[in-house]
Amino acid sequence: MRSGYFKETIAQQIDLTDSAVVRIWLALLVAALIVVPFYLNPFYLSLLTIVAITAIGALGLNILTGWAGLISLGHVGFMVLGAYAYAISTSIWKLDPLVGLLLAGLVPAIASIIVGIPSLRLTGLYLAITTLAFAFIINHLILEFDGLTRGARGIFVTRPTLFGISFKSDTAFALLCVALAAITLVATLNLRRSRVGRALVAIRDNDIAARVMGVDLTIYKLNAFITSSFIIGISGALYGIFLSYVTVEGFPFLLSIEALAILIVGGIGTALGAVLGTIFIVLLPEVTSMLFSLLGDDAARMLSTGAHELKSMLYGVVIILFLRFQPHGLVGLWRDSKRMWVNWPLRF
Amino acid sequence: MSIKTLMAATAASLLLSATAGLAADQGVTDKEILLGEVEPLTGPPALLGVAHNLGVRLALEEANAAGGIHGRKLRLTALDDGYVSSRTIQSLRKLISVDKVFALTSLSGSGQAVASLPIIEEAGIPAIVPIGPVAPLYTPPRKNIFVVGQSYEEGMHQLALFLANKYPGKKWGVVTQDDDYGVALREGLKQAKDEKKFNVVFESIYKRGQQDFSSEMLRAKDAGVEVFIAGGIISENVAMLKEMEKLGIKPATGIFWPGRVSAMLKLAGPASDGLYAVDYVEPIASENGQKFLELAKKYLSPEEVARINRYTMTGYAGTRVLLAAIEKCGKDLTWACTNAELAKTKDLKTDVMAPISFADGSRFSNQKVQIMQADFKTLGFKPVK
Repeated sequence: MRSGYFKETIAQQIDLTDSAVVRIWLALLVAALIVVPFYLNPFYLSLLTIVAITAIGALGLNILTGWAGLISLGHVGFMVLGAYAYAISTSIWKLDPLVGLLLAGLVPAIASIIVGIPSLRLTGLYLAITTLAFAFIINHLILEFDGLTRGARGIFVTRPTLFGISFKSDTAFALLCVALAAITLVATLNLRRSRVGRALVAIRDNDIAARVMGVDLTIYKLNAFITSSFIIGISGALYGIFLSYVTVEGFPFLLSIEALAILIVGGIGTALGAVLGTIFIVLLPEVTSMLFSLLGDDAARMLSTGAHELKSMLYGVVIILFLRFQPHGLVGLWRDSKRMWVNWPLRF
Repeated sequence: MSIKTLMAATAASLLLSATAGLAADQGVTDKEILLGEVEPLTGPPALLGVAHNLGVRLALEEANAAGGIHGRKLRLTALDDGYVSSRTIQSLRKLISVDKVFALTSLSGSGQAVASLPIIEEAGIPAIVPIGPVAPLYTPPRKNIFVVGQSYEEGMHQLALFLANKYPGKKWGVVTQDDDYGVALREGLKQAKDEKKFNVVFESIYKRGQQDFSSEMLRAKDAGVEVFIAGGIISENVAMLKEMEKLGIKPATGIFWPGRVSAMLKLAGPASDGLYAVDYVEPIASENGQKFLELAKKYLSPEEVARINRYTMTGYAGTRVLLAAIEKCGKDLTWACTNAELAKTKDLKTDVMAPISFADGSRFSNQKVQIMQADFKTLGFKPVK
């Protein structure tokens, strides 16, 4: 039985996993994610789909905020750009959906250079405010350029056919989103253990020290902005396809706050934290609803005229309690559980 | 019993059980019909969602008190979407595939309803849209989606025509929102302007959620505005009225139905007195409005009655249309029959708006609008004769 973690080389240190058991569990998880959607009803499929889409966005934001330490409230701005890039290219210009998805990543990536360059000298709250302004400007521009974007009227989008495979059914679309989320997870994990990932973390921990070690702040910060917004743009396009109707109204500012909450609750700076945080934040309202429904018809009747506010408060209280008692987030809880499992009966 | 008789009896019972399975769609049992709806029940839009929910419940309580429909009681499952489109879609999927409701009495606001169109159309479930009756919901008409109300364009068109006739030759000011609601109001206003050729001296479009209108109102004052269209919803209209009061101007002001609630009058104070409003729903102060209030007092708690507004009436009327169609289908209740009966709705009286009909091939009830005026003392609106 394994009695602890001993790593002697850099290769071991950056290895995604050194455990055969973990690999088996991962293989089982992948198999389950492929098989389970075929047995879910449309409601649970929609939950799985929205978890996958939100996870892609959270993984993208994690690169910028979790690793590079650049706080962004412009998440929803990049999402809406991605959604509109996809909607305009596929529904109006009738381009191939694959080109649409590529543009959904490229357009926010280019926009991120515009917002990234002036933001290079800013950190913390100042950067947060700049990115917040960006999100509002994007909405305003979309509404103003109605010749291209159809303004407030929005654009209908249909589910795509990619490589000859139709993703029109709920199951197929859920599988597409899960597959893209898995690809994003692997890509970001690899990015984290590369030179770029280490440089970003060095900038977050101490940018002056990073510069002294030869890390070009301008290049790497811009790199973080571009990579992050490319991924967030893809999640925006998928979100637009999920909604089937792209309009700025469908992308409330709440999405930016929710994305930050996901990183904090999940455990900021880790890809696993972004995924766990997504599952927690997206499913929490459903779980609280289910708990309330267990109280019977009278409670359900009360819910429709006031107690829904109580449900929202409960949602907030759970997050606050979590932050108070587990500041490292869900990923900290996961690590503690792992250590306890390995080291028990010794104290972890 | 011979073998032949036994086989015939078995075949007959198999046929009967098969047809019994086909007789009713989901959400229908011998004792109950389950209906569902999605609306904002939390946050500021809950002012709309909760009031609407009360109207639907009122219609159901009234029907249940009369014995239900063909012996079946009516029950409602309401889900909150917080006015977020993705949650509307999830909630609708839950209602259709998990709760298995028979029909829907609301698809939330206009944007949310438009986003839900593919799901509802694909499912084929009968759906009533009594909130946010925008054109994409009924153009082109969809077999199972029925919009009860009037378009924003036509409502604004009628309000502007009324004000143009009442205040000829005056200078107009218009402030509208930067979303689909604002676009619709501007289109309706343009129609009226083309017809009456009134002079718009000040026009401004604000970002949704804006709370400070000091700049806009100062510009309106400088332009000498005498007739003003406040194209916000509630808090925006309140901010505009308060600002005008501060600047000492009181043009003849028109507001639109989403803001025609007593909460708006309460917040705006005496500045709201005399406001013109347009709506296809009866004001509470009217005779029919008072009858509706009495009905509500019979079935709802005093706290719930205090939360009634125009959306309670739209919810009530929309549900009455649905219940009438369900009743016509008799015992064997199916989606196909309900959709067919809904399409045949002719002059259905609800007493909270003009009789409801769907013209041949149309899924839009195209309600007649009326002009009314605010009375701050009673915090209500009275019809303008």
